[in-house]
Amino acid sequence: MNEEIAFLTVTGLAIVRALPVTVVLALTSALGASAVAVALVAAQATRVGRPLAQVWIFVFRGTPLLLQMFMVYYGLAAVGPIRHGLLWPLFRDPLFCAFAAMTCCCSAYIAEVLRAAWQAIPPGQVEAAQACGMSRWTRVRRVIAPQMLRLALPAYGNELVMLIKSTSLASTITVLDVTGVAQTLIAHSYRTLEVFCLAAAVYLGLTAGLTALLRRIERNLERGTGR
Amino acid sequence: MTEVLRARGITKSFGGRAVLRGIDLDAQAGDVVSILGGSGSGKSTFLRCLNLLELPDAGRIEIAGTTAPLDHDRKGRPRIADPRALNALRAKTAMVFQNFNLWSHMSVLDNVIAAPVHVHGQPRGEAIERAHGLLDKVGMTGFAQHWPRQLSGGQQQRVAIARALATDPDLMLFDEPTSALDPERVREVLDLMRALAAEGRTMLIVTHEMAFARDVSSRVVHVRDGVIESMGPPDAMFGAGASPAFRAFLAH
Repeated sequence: MNEEIAFLTVTGLAIVRALPVTVVLALTSALGASAVAVALVAAQATRVGRPLAQVWIFVFRGTPLLLQMFMVYYGLAAVGPIRHGLLWPLFRDPLFCAFAAMTCCCSAYIAEVLRAAWQAIPPGQVEAAQACGMSRWTRVRRVIAPQMLRLALPAYGNELVMLIKSTSLASTITVLDVTGVAQTLIAHSYRTLEVFCLAAAVYLGLTAGLTALLRRIERNLERGTGR
Repeated sequence: MTEVLRARGITKSFGGRAVLRGIDLDAQAGDVVSILGGSGSGKSTFLRCLNLLELPDAGRIEIAGTTAPLDHDRKGRPRIADPRALNALRAKTAMVFQNFNLWSHMSVLDNVIAAPVHVHGQPRGEAIERAHGLLDKVGMTGFAQHWPRQLSGGQQQRVAIARALATDPDLMLFDEPTSALDPERVREVLDLMRALAAEGRTMLIVTHEMAFARDVSSRVVHVRDGVIESMGPPDAMFGAGASPAFRAFLAH
């Protein structure tokens, strides 16, 4: 029994030490994916950008994230201009490759969430902004973006939860995140269930924190409409 | 007299169906023009063409000396030639909608100061001061920090009218402003519009309120099948000189 507690403590600490890697990957990917998603939605409003954005979404939403990570980490290393180019220090780093793949993949999903929110804005809200002479940018800044934010938040939060869990795939390209460290520990101890349960608890803590934060933001936004 | 509106030969069709078939209308400063007609006659579409929420297929619009920047692409479809000129034109007008269309994420005060601050570049403090005065005027004193969804329809429409007045527009467009209101709320909005007419606002009003149109308008316009069937001062339109078609419309 004592031996069991000692094992769980040591393992738990080792897993928690890997938490920064998971958090950094989730945070940077969330920021990157959200920024690309906004660009994708903006691009869809232009004639040239529309097909490009649609192809991006079609490809990255329609293929597995796992394969995208393999292609970026293992695949691009075989491409001469990248292997010998200026960006090689980046693409040599598995954490960066995981970030790149997740940014591309998640941006496609988030772009669809944002597009749905855009389409859900009541037309009268935009017409009122047009009718008083607001420029296109002012309309976006003062009316469209704030309304999109409110409409998109629940589905956007869902995407962020998925994104946090997807970071575990980075362990397959040698990133020592929470899942990667858990696998290493299992290779040494063969105690699969205990170790994976501890790792799962870490993810649960992260997603629970995020969910609470989102609920709070949602409540604050709702107060901002007098509900 | 200053000419505020000059619309010439406005046409518009939706999917091959002609909704407006050539409408000419002028308004001088201080005119209150009521636009009446059956549903589907094109009266709302005409009003929405004047601030280019709908792009007319053809025609010419001038508001307070500014010409609407209308153009056609190579396939002959209407388009905006110059977005800046369009916004400048719209900034001279204000529209009051059937469904109020107050911005739901802004407080009453923010709704009223949005156009003065973000379109006309008025200093915020000045705009707020003026907004309080306007809220007093429309009988919404003390509601500045409320949210649109906390208000009744009549209250929302009165705030929408304060919002429209905030930029001191040359031309106010009312698109069936009382059609979405409970009968007992219609009066508070009509009384307010009556007061605006009395102080010399130039107003174009699409409405079904016949008594109001007769009392308040300087001119009544009857639109039927996308053309102006008849128009004139209310005494003539509601009196013995009315056209048979307008009489039939009133009798329905």
